[in-house]
Amino acid sequence: MKMRRTTRGGNLKRGLKLVLGGAVITAAALVAGVAGAASIDWKQFQGTSITWAYDIHPYADAVVAQLPEFEKLTGIKVTPELYPDDAYWSKLTIQLTTKSPAWDVIGIGIQPAWDLTPGGSLEPLDGYIKNPKLTDSDYDYGDFFPALRKALTWKNKDGQVVAGDDGQIWAIPHGFENIQLMYRKDILAKDGLKVPETLPEMIATCTALKKAEPGVTPLVVRGVRFWSSIHTAAISIAKSYGVSDFVVKDGKLDTGLDSPQSVAFHTDYVAMIKACAPSSFANDNWYQVVDGLSSGRAVMAIDSNMFGFWNDVPGKAAASGQIAFAPPPRAPGAKSFDSNIWIWSLAMNAASQKKGAAWLFMQWATSKEVDLAGAVAGKLVNSPRASTWDNKAWIDYATKAEFNNFVPTFKTVQAQAALAFTPRYGFGEAMNAWAVSMQQMVNGAPVEPTLKALAEQIRGSL
Amino acid sequence: MTALSTKVESGLKSFVAPVPVDRNGRRRSELLSLLVVAPAVLILLGFLLLFFYGVWQSLTDLRLGRPIIHFVGFANYLALFRTASFWNNVSVTLVYASSVVVIEALFGVALAKLFASQVRCAEIFRPVILLPLVLPPMSVALMWTTMMDPQSGILNYLFSLIGLGPFSWISSPQTALASIILIDVWTYTPFFTLIIFAGLQGITDDIREAARINGAKSWATFRRIELPLVAPYILIAAVFRLIESFNQFDIIFGTTQGGPGNSTSVLSVQGYITAFQNLNFGRGAALMVVNWLIVLAGAMVTVRAWQFVKRRVS
Repeated sequence: MKMRRTTRGGNLKRGLKLVLGGAVITAAALVAGVAGAASIDWKQFQGTSITWAYDIHPYADAVVAQLPEFEKLTGIKVTPELYPDDAYWSKLTIQLTTKSPAWDVIGIGIQPAWDLTPGGSLEPLDGYIKNPKLTDSDYDYGDFFPALRKALTWKNKDGQVVAGDDGQIWAIPHGFENIQLMYRKDILAKDGLKVPETLPEMIATCTALKKAEPGVTPLVVRGVRFWSSIHTAAISIAKSYGVSDFVVKDGKLDTGLDSPQSVAFHTDYVAMIKACAPSSFANDNWYQVVDGLSSGRAVMAIDSNMFGFWNDVPGKAAASGQIAFAPPPRAPGAKSFDSNIWIWSLAMNAASQKKGAAWLFMQWATSKEVDLAGAVAGKLVNSPRASTWDNKAWIDYATKAEFNNFVPTFKTVQAQAALAFTPRYGFGEAMNAWAVSMQQMVNGAPVEPTLKALAEQIRGSL
Repeated sequence: MTALSTKVESGLKSFVAPVPVDRNGRRRSELLSLLVVAPAVLILLGFLLLFFYGVWQSLTDLRLGRPIIHFVGFANYLALFRTASFWNNVSVTLVYASSVVVIEALFGVALAKLFASQVRCAEIFRPVILLPLVLPPMSVALMWTTMMDPQSGILNYLFSLIGLGPFSWISSPQTALASIILIDVWTYTPFFTLIIFAGLQGITDDIREAARINGAKSWATFRRIELPLVAPYILIAAVFRLIESFNQFDIIFGTTQGGPGNSTSVLSVQGYITAFQNLNFGRGAALMVVNWLIVLAGAMVTVRAWQFVKRRVS
């Protein structure tokens, strides 16, 4: 028995070495390819130093691991400044709105970018992408998924954000997340439960799980009182109920959060949280969702799909290899599910004094080669480039048995995934208020009056 | 009118007239004094300028990320006064600050009295009890957040051993405020203990001896002699703690971030969220100015009480 375990462990180690070795060789070859096919002078800003700020995140790790290649290619020194999630967003807001030139390139999502562009804090990127002296002919901006390109394009008019293809490009997708249901296939199979597709089904599954598995939490979702808890499970499911955060009524912008559809959604969602989520819901952020999956304490989670992938990597979590994927639950009777997207993107600080060098770094970090190398290293698992998803190296890796149905589910969800929010300045204020109201309803406040009060509060700030 | 003219005339004369040697020396000395205090005055003016800049911002519609700013007078304040959530912020702030100060003062007196006694275990625990005071408040918040987790926290586990719980702690609006008060009490009671202990050490043994000869028992000695004598110490500690508690941010933001719902949303946390999360800087500044006024009023009342008690003790 002992001998058998040793042999299995040795095989595992040898297998891991092969995968990692292969990933490193692929990455090196791919990065070398950037310089080999160059149509621009990558050394034109040689000797410049720039600062790149980002969240502490595996997506950042994917780029940091390849930074020496960039520095060798361009002679530009990049200093990464990585911060914990909560601290990062506050620091980002202060740095950019005070026009500090300290950060040249930043990591950002679409929604926070809406609040930063009307004040001129971000540099529009169209001019850089179209400049043949600055952008390599192989860069292929059109390779990014159309939904992502569309989401990162808008114009600013009278201090407000106006979406549309005639707008400017404000950030380049670097990695993204679509919202999915992740579940422990072993537990659901053991208890003879099917993967829930609607909220009532989810409630029934949770009730059954509580009886069959008293030691585990049926479902974890984010519940903190900020927009980050709305943009994952809540907005994705709400969309399938026909809920819109904002609507245009008689030519005027209004909120749709007190609509009958919204009341129906919140009634079901609150019931789901009460039946499924842990009592720490109000304090649960993405850290707790990941912890629930990795510790094996949670059976299901509705959040960004890569959390399931990373926890399926052998040896990474108590339930490695057992986390499978499905589209998020939808409204009963809805034709299809909805899934919101969050795009980790690179943007340029408008106050940067080294914009040329900053653009070369952004271009390199979002290139086909770097994205693919990050993907096959198991870090940048949701590449925003269609070419990565057509690449054999990545598909071979991502379709390994331990990742279950990650790839087919990604493809199914990605076909439907879209930005579920209305682009506008003031996004944070309205969505933070929604998150607070959600907590109040989960804690017993009546749904309809709470939504009416929320809508009035949002209308007051329009 | 004539008298005034005479005064002005003599003043001018003294200004123009040659200054005697001793006066010259005094003037130089005064100039030197002015030069010495000038940096402090300038720093103070700098602080005041920043403060009044903050007040000015509260009178504008300044929003981070939006380039245009308008002067809106008291519109931010009026908008706040009209919302129920603002009055909830004020109420939570007052309940939090007053509760922690009263509870910490009570525990502080009890612990200081214990440490002033000759009990051996008290001498051992004296340095240990000060440990929470030296921990960074954000670390305290994270530590308690972990301990108060309803599923995996150690507190519920310990209570379960004696058949109690599980409690929701910071996850329920019914218990969240009490939970953060508990964290504050754990962290800052040593501050009261330290100050009151110093006060008790200042009471000489002959006073206690005189009380004992007059037949006073230990409780009566404490109540009639020691407590009145340390009362100024309690109140001065209360002033400092009251100011800090009204401004408490780290412990609350690090645990509940003002939730669940708005149950722990004190003015400082709401001001931060309004300014830096919602980017409504003008409204956030108004919340901070209201908080400052409450701090000022609370501190003034406590200082008056301290002066009154000090006079009586003297």
